[in-house]
Amino acid sequence: MATYIIRRLLGLIPTLFVITVIVFLMMHAMPGNAFESLVFNPKIKNADALYKHLLAQNGLNQSLPVQYIHWLGNILQGNLGNSWSMQAPVSQLIATYLPNTLLLAISAEVIILIISIPIGLYQANKVNGSFDVVSSFIAVFLYSIPSFVFALLLLFFFSFSLPWLPQSGTVTPAVSWSGDFGDRFQHLILPALALALPQLASYTRLTRGNTLQVIVADFVRTARAKGLRSRRILFRHVLRNGIIPVITQFGFDIGNLFSGAVIIENIFTWPGMGQLSISATISRDYPLILGTTLLFAVMVLIGNLIADILLAAADPRIRLG
Amino acid sequence: MSTDISNKRLATVQRRPAKGKSPFRLAMERFMRNPLAMTGTVILFMIIIVTVFAPWFTHWSPSTPDIFNTDSGPTAAHLLGTDGTGYDNLARVLYGGRVDLTVAFAAALMTMVLGTVYGGVAGYFGGWIDNLLMRFVDVMLNFPFISLVLALEAIFNTSSEWVLIMVVGLTSWPAPARMMRGVFLQLREQDYVVGAQTIGASRIRIIFRHMLPNSLSMLIVLVSLSVASYVGLDAALSFLGLGVPPSTPSWGGILNTYSDYVSLATKPYAWMPPVIMIVLTILSVNFIGDGLRDAFDPQSRS
Repeated sequence: MATYIIRRLLGLIPTLFVITVIVFLMMHAMPGNAFESLVFNPKIKNADALYKHLLAQNGLNQSLPVQYIHWLGNILQGNLGNSWSMQAPVSQLIATYLPNTLLLAISAEVIILIISIPIGLYQANKVNGSFDVVSSFIAVFLYSIPSFVFALLLLFFFSFSLPWLPQSGTVTPAVSWSGDFGDRFQHLILPALALALPQLASYTRLTRGNTLQVIVADFVRTARAKGLRSRRILFRHVLRNGIIPVITQFGFDIGNLFSGAVIIENIFTWPGMGQLSISATISRDYPLILGTTLLFAVMVLIGNLIADILLAAADPRIRLG
Repeated sequence: MSTDISNKRLATVQRRPAKGKSPFRLAMERFMRNPLAMTGTVILFMIIIVTVFAPWFTHWSPSTPDIFNTDSGPTAAHLLGTDGTGYDNLARVLYGGRVDLTVAFAAALMTMVLGTVYGGVAGYFGGWIDNLLMRFVDVMLNFPFISLVLALEAIFNTSSEWVLIMVVGLTSWPAPARMMRGVFLQLREQDYVVGAQTIGASRIRIIFRHMLPNSLSMLIVLVSLSVASYVGLDAALSFLGLGVPPSTPSWGGILNTYSDYVSLATKPYAWMPPVIMIVLTILSVNFIGDGLRDAFDPQSRS
């Protein structure tokens, strides 16, 4: 297992390299730079000369590969530049906002797995039964509703029509219980649900489909023939094999989860990476945009790595093959 | 005389041996028999009619405000009320569909062309070309879709329908490319392709004449399912204020106007209709896509 993880980690290096090259090239494609506005400042005499001097001083007149190496050196030291709109280092902003996004994404993922796997398993166990038909039909509806629409509907029903849950932020401000576990949990429910619901349907479908394939396998028939209880067969033999494609899919979907989080955070004014990157895009804050893009890509990479390790843990053929 | 001739011709036609139905025709017949898929087709058709012929259904223009009735509730003149500027909400819902549907279909077409060419080249040539091209796809798949969209929006620095189509097209080709590569890899080993190679058919001929038609069914399914996701994506981007400019009516744009908490709580008559339109569109396209998949590949049905 350890050698497998090390091999996978080393395999990440070329991918990381290409990701940084792409982000760097995007940075160059973006219009303007930090000093361009000086040229238009009437109070500065000889602005063109000053502009050229500043470019040279900051190494912006060097060739692209040289600039890339400088930039990469800065990144490796955790220096992602300064945000123009928020007047703070990008790395510091990310450190503040990232934990909230992670909390949201992980809670959504937990909801997805906890609900969809048992439902899919149950559907496949009694295939074409009434539960299967009804829940499959509901699933088509669920996955046809985009997460931001879910967010609006959830807000309307559970926050306004029935004032059960708070509609924004991570904590209730200015009350004595502000920030304790129950308070945070209440704020988490709606955004996490909005993020989880559309994917819930596709995971249920996936689990059902895989379980149906596994349930007819020879080893299941053998288990049944030797008289094991059907519950034991389902959880011990079928589940472990049926779940493997779900883990693969989980690896693919981490990017989608973050994409969804970007939109959901904006609706629930959840102070996470999504809000940060959207406000960066709207205010054309290029260092922040690139910092968040780079970070998102790295997060997906790490998520994929976790999925691969889980896969190897579930299926020994992968780590030995 | 003339009836005589036409009768004769009819008779000769009937004497021809009955021709077998093509696989495509058979698939279409299976599609027609699928009630959900047909419901989806009818709903989508109705949505397209309502948006394309919007002037028949409302006499308000989506871009001229009724300045004497701003921010009104549902009235006889404005069935869904007006927004803060005085735009008629019904008109904006109807005309808004044009933008959303155009963007979704055009973006789906663009991704499919890019994905098919890229995946087709990788799958057909295989070897190191395939390896190189697919490593790049793997890297691109590491960028969450929306963060790439945001970065590209910043690069283009303007917003319009066409920029939106470009952005979606440029960011979402890797997944279809990966799929088409798989299809082409599979097709390459098929007997008829090997046969065509043996009798010395050119590469171009093999690709366009033998492989592409056989991957068409996969492509159609993929296009229809991606149209569904692009309708949602396009609405989400406009909702965030990153899609089409606010002056252009779009479903996401209307939701953006009503996304503050007060409007959400008090004006469901204004924001529910675009929500219903978005969900209905996606639902119908998904039904069509599922129906097409079942029709082209009856074994896929679980």
